[in-house]
Amino acid sequence: MDPNLERLISLHDLDIMIADLSRNDIRKEEEKLGLSPDEAQKELRQLRKELCNKIEKRLLARYDRLASRYGNAVVPAIQSRCSGCLTRLPTAMCSDPNRNERIRTCPTCGRIIYWAD
Amino acid sequence: MKNRCYCKWNLMSTDRSSAIAELLDIVPPFDERRKSLLLTALESREQAGATVVHESISMPHCRSILVDDFEIVLGRSKKGVGWPEEKVELVILFISPVTPKSPEEHTQLIKQFADRIKDGGAEKIFAAEDCAELAELLDLDLLDGG
Repeated sequence: MDPNLERLISLHDLDIMIADLSRNDIRKEEEKLGLSPDEAQKELRQLRKELCNKIEKRLLARYDRLASRYGNAVVPAIQSRCSGCLTRLPTAMCSDPNRNERIRTCPTCGRIIYWAD
Repeated sequence: MKNRCYCKWNLMSTDRSSAIAELLDIVPPFDERRKSLLLTALESREQAGATVVHESISMPHCRSILVDDFEIVLGRSKKGVGWPEEKVELVILFISPVTPKSPEEHTQLIKQFADRIKDGGAEKIFAAEDCAELAELLDLDLLDGG
């Protein structure tokens, strides 16, 4: 898998964790368990910053743009469709055995695509 | 409907990172690449604050775009896993998918485990003699025993 794609997936997962820890219901449950959502969120933001330093600027800018527009910048391809906008992806893109070896985007919505299978 | 889980009864690992990797190893749909990225996500969460939720119980968890269904893996260790400052004898690992409903379902799962652990529940959980009993006490259906 393209190292930048791996970093973008990790960035997306970090962003989800950071957003989750802003939710009152999740914070409440975590606090009940004795965890510290505030501190965890602060640390995750720091990890995000460190990860961002390892991602090419132009890719990061694209990720941020997509995330602010759609909420999810990186999505899996499911049954040859972009799981963000559900558009069928080009056959050549899906049948390429090295499809995860470079950054691919959905031709319709522009989201960054990865293949899990 | 109950959530399904995998279970490893005798964890070999004695440190947090290896224990998480050992548990991810028993989930059939995870290939090496996915395992490595999920390990990164779970370790990031642990780095941000260890998820020891009760004496000897840790609950590594995250939501990730790398799974399309809830993946829950239980791990029991008699010798204990360094997490890293406390010894943990039970690991409840879970990863929730990223779907519109998943934040609520993720919260529900945290609540389900919290409810099972509190008010003396942990003692019963530690008295479980095998994966099937452990899963039942956590209100889960067992998919596979380790």
